Amino acid sequence: MSLDSLNIDPVTTPEDPEHVREIIDRAKRETRIEYEYGGSFFKPRMKGINHLEVGRSKIIASPLTIMIEWLYLQYEHLRDAWDRFSASLWPRHPDIWCDRVDSHLVGRTVFAGNRGDGAPIHHLHLEMWGRTWLGNWRRLSVGRSDKDGYFRLPFDVRQARRIALRRIYFEIHTTTRVYFHEDQPNMHFDIWRRQKVKKSDLIGMEYNLRTLRLDFWRYREDAMTPRAMVNENGDEPEHYSKGRVDALMAQVIPIELTKLKHLEQIDLAPGTLSIPEIQADYPENLTTCIEKYLPGYTRGDDWFGERMMNGMNRGCFQPDPDRPGNWWIRYFGTCWYDCNEIYALPDVAIRFTLRENGLPKPEEIQLTGKLSRFDDDPHQTRIYTPEDEPNWTYAKRVARVTGAFNTEVEEHFSGTHLNAEQFAVACYRNLKLNPVAALLMPHLKEVSLINHAADNTLIGGYIQSASALTQEGLEQRCRDIMGMQDWKGWEPMAPISEAHTCAQAEVMFWDVVGQYVDEFFANREEQIKEHWFEIYTFSEDLVNHSVPVAFTGPGDTPPDGDDWAALAKTRFDYYCQQYCFDPTLARAEMDGTTRAISRITSAESWAEAGPDDWQNLKDACRYAIMVATYLHTWINEHQYDDLGEILYACGGLRFGDKPSGIMAPEDDYDIAPDLVRSTQMLWFTNLLSRTEYGFITRNEENDVNPHFARLLEERRDAFAALGVDVDAIESRTNI
Amino acid sequence: MTATEAPTAPPRLMVYWLRRLGDKLVLILYSRLFGLMLALFLCFPKQQRMSHNNGIGATGKLRIVDHPEFPAHEFFEPGKEFPVRIRHASATFLDDAMNCIRSLSIKLSDQQFKSPFDIEMNTGVTSLFWSAASFLKFASMRGEKYGVEYREYNRRYPDGLKGSMTAGRRHASSFHNLHYYCKTPFLFVGKDGLKRYAKYRVIPADSEVEIGKETDPSEWDQCNQRILPHETRGRNYLKYEYEDRVKRQGARYRMQIQTHPASEEEDPEVFNNMVVWDEDLYPWRDLGIMTIDKVLDWRESTLTTFSVNNMPKTLGVLPAHSIFDYNSLNYMRAHSEIARHARVLSYKVFGMVPPIPDNDNRNVSDWGQ
Repeated sequence: MSLDSLNIDPVTTPEDPEHVREIIDRAKRETRIEYEYGGSFFKPRMKGINHLEVGRSKIIASPLTIMIEWLYLQYEHLRDAWDRFSASLWPRHPDIWCDRVDSHLVGRTVFAGNRGDGAPIHHLHLEMWGRTWLGNWRRLSVGRSDKDGYFRLPFDVRQARRIALRRIYFEIHTTTRVYFHEDQPNMHFDIWRRQKVKKSDLIGMEYNLRTLRLDFWRYREDAMTPRAMVNENGDEPEHYSKGRVDALMAQVIPIELTKLKHLEQIDLAPGTLSIPEIQADYPENLTTCIEKYLPGYTRGDDWFGERMMNGMNRGCFQPDPDRPGNWWIRYFGTCWYDCNEIYALPDVAIRFTLRENGLPKPEEIQLTGKLSRFDDDPHQTRIYTPEDEPNWTYAKRVARVTGAFNTEVEEHFSGTHLNAEQFAVACYRNLKLNPVAALLMPHLKEVSLINHAADNTLIGGYIQSASALTQEGLEQRCRDIMGMQDWKGWEPMAPISEAHTCAQAEVMFWDVVGQYVDEFFANREEQIKEHWFEIYTFSEDLVNHSVPVAFTGPGDTPPDGDDWAALAKTRFDYYCQQYCFDPTLARAEMDGTTRAISRITSAESWAEAGPDDWQNLKDACRYAIMVATYLHTWINEHQYDDLGEILYACGGLRFGDKPSGIMAPEDDYDIAPDLVRSTQMLWFTNLLSRTEYGFITRNEENDVNPHFARLLEERRDAFAALGVDVDAIESRTNI
Repeated sequence: MTATEAPTAPPRLMVYWLRRLGDKLVLILYSRLFGLMLALFLCFPKQQRMSHNNGIGATGKLRIVDHPEFPAHEFFEPGKEFPVRIRHASATFLDDAMNCIRSLSIKLSDQQFKSPFDIEMNTGVTSLFWSAASFLKFASMRGEKYGVEYREYNRRYPDGLKGSMTAGRRHASSFHNLHYYCKTPFLFVGKDGLKRYAKYRVIPADSEVEIGKETDPSEWDQCNQRILPHETRGRNYLKYEYEDRVKRQGARYRMQIQTHPASEEEDPEVFNNMVVWDEDLYPWRDLGIMTIDKVLDWRESTLTTFSVNNMPKTLGVLPAHSIFDYNSLNYMRAHSEIARHARVLSYKVFGMVPPIPDNDNRNVSDWGQ
């Protein structure tokens, strides 16, 4: 929706702040969309999250295919029913069939690796079962791997060789989920791998299954950040819960159909579709809704300042050392990363002062870098002030776009998704007996799967085609941002005024997590200390696989030249405040580089642990939960608010062919995203903001500690006063 | 290593006894069939023993010690002398320079077969197999090729590999200085009427260093029994050394016995040949001194055979109940006599097998013409 089409003065803002606030609140309520998607039998449907594509997702729309799909589903239901019937007919009783232990099943479990064996897998739950000719199950042994991955399951060879037994199985069980019952966590084991053991091979004494190289929460060797290896189907090393898939499908189909319609129309008759029409086909977002009631308001300075402080971008305010009362927010553009020649992405620095109501007032915007095709100097800086209309309005749009790009790639994908995943992989690989597993797993589940999907759809899909950076550039940028993520010393953003509600809410949530973690540790101190070895390996995996501190690793350093060095220093200093990263802390050195993540403990047992280790562990857990819940929710929730109007903000503005480049009005569609990218952008922001599932207070799967939810409930009103609905805070990063 | 120990459930009465009966029938079938197969497919057509073809026989005498410290037994009267016939051998290859298990079989008579007491011993304190079931698996997984064998068996059965490591001897300087153990216990009912179990071993009479043990061999080393590169020792060097030694100075051995009291609630692990009895609790006692003064020729050595059935009733084979029973090894040996008969018959039908030639056909388990 262009300003010209609204026929309004872009800098005009209503004078009655209370009236404006009422309108904004009303717009927020109106744009909280609930899809009513009942439909008929022949409604289009989708198989799963992994079938989502930024292009054309695998939608099933043909009636014939729907019929076949329905029949297949019936077959699946029948098969599931048979499995349930079998399970009830031939239950797996926990009694062990053993008259005398005279034999052992031995071996070793290690993580698979591309080059030889990986580290040992400790504390894997292992079972040995026999199945009779009539289908009955007999448990022959149970045990677990030790610290070095070795296992030795005792069994009775005569029981294993009974003629009644048809087959012998060796099973590896893993913790697939945690659920809470009467406030107590319960770890649920599922069979992860089942291997037949030849019955005639069991002849007494020890039978060696040798070294079992398992793709168990394996790190990807080809990734630039610590990532889990996910299989081709996208359903290992973990699975989405059924509720999560259903919730997404229910919400995504309508917008998927809208996108498909647009893509078809663009293919067949591109001249018949325009950006406003695309915009109109998607649900109304916050800015378009406000524009209905307050035309031009969202392009004004008030709204600009408010969203920079409390919107999706929620900038980090750095005090100006030379001008008291002045603050800077910075968003970094292409920098030295690999980029294309289509999109502009200059560095942005915005100077604010604070109004009486505490909201920021933009005073100056500095754009550094290429603004048009005809610019050559990537270090040239242009300064704009409110007196420079219409360039001031154009500069604000550029700031929103670079801000959105930074928020999506750096804060959202790197700072929460990838950051949570590095904790998730280390957690699932190592925490099995330690109660800390019950603390972390509910908040770290599914993130590896959604990140895997994002590799194709987001980093390798939409963003690289809709913004300035190539996939290679994006991956390097994510790695650099990961080099600024550390649990040690992390604190939430400090509020700079009463109106800085986003920071206040962040502090409040941080306090809640702190109280929750403290109480959890106090109640389970003995068990946590007993299984301290798992904490040690958890910490080692975190550190050993973390990326080097930003810009320090081989291949991560900026190009030669004073300008690039100065930019690198500016970025590093800014990120240190933004991500609360203390570069002076002593960090682990590996392969000649300093690792970003601090070590939790160097001790394999609690008896050898250092005086700070207990607090380190609590801080690391608190940080991981904060990242996976609140920090992710904040950006995810607000994406459609601030990235749901194509001409208001987007992932990148095209240079166009004019000398003015991106310093042009919104009705210059040459610099706006093209039609394909426009519909994809709205599809994406809808998908991310409106398909959430898994909330702390709703606790749909009983996987969240009810005590955590109660602590939030107690502060419901306080959060509401800051504009945060506690019911909307996600318990995990899964979209 | 840690593991959760499985609880022990009580036997299930009727089912228990039916199973025992079934186990016994399977053991009988296994043992008889095994002997028959050996006779039909190895001993008669190929004129071979099951494994220890490469050997040398000798004769002498055994004198029971004058003041025994082991429980008194009517067969082992103090000071009593027996004529003995022994046979040293290397299993399984016909090449003394390979890494082989070495053996000593003793017969308390100077006959080809008939004897009141035979005992068969190998180097190493533990074995490569521990029951009839494990022996059949061992035999079926030999997979020998160019002097490399039991690769898969050693990978799958760590106890077998350990036994192989303790038993293999490469470059032994003499059959005489090695230590030989019968690992599966036998019955021992002494004059006091108490039931005991007994193990026997033979070591040099005078203190001599045992030469030929491999130092810290790897899994692969143990499978690879081939002669070393640039080997200068011949295929028969150990037999020649023994022949020279006996001619020159004779050979003296110390035969010892280890006894273990029986109990009604016996832990089956007592019979496990992979478990060494605690020497502090069950010390080795001298049984007698064996003096060898004459080496037998190839023909007589080949015709000399041994059997666990050649024992007094009070010193015989312990009963076994299933193919997994540790005593089933000796049970199977005792019920494989048909194989021995078949081999001796083959000599009469086809003639005597020739001595092992001193040629350069190395790393083989046949005569290598």
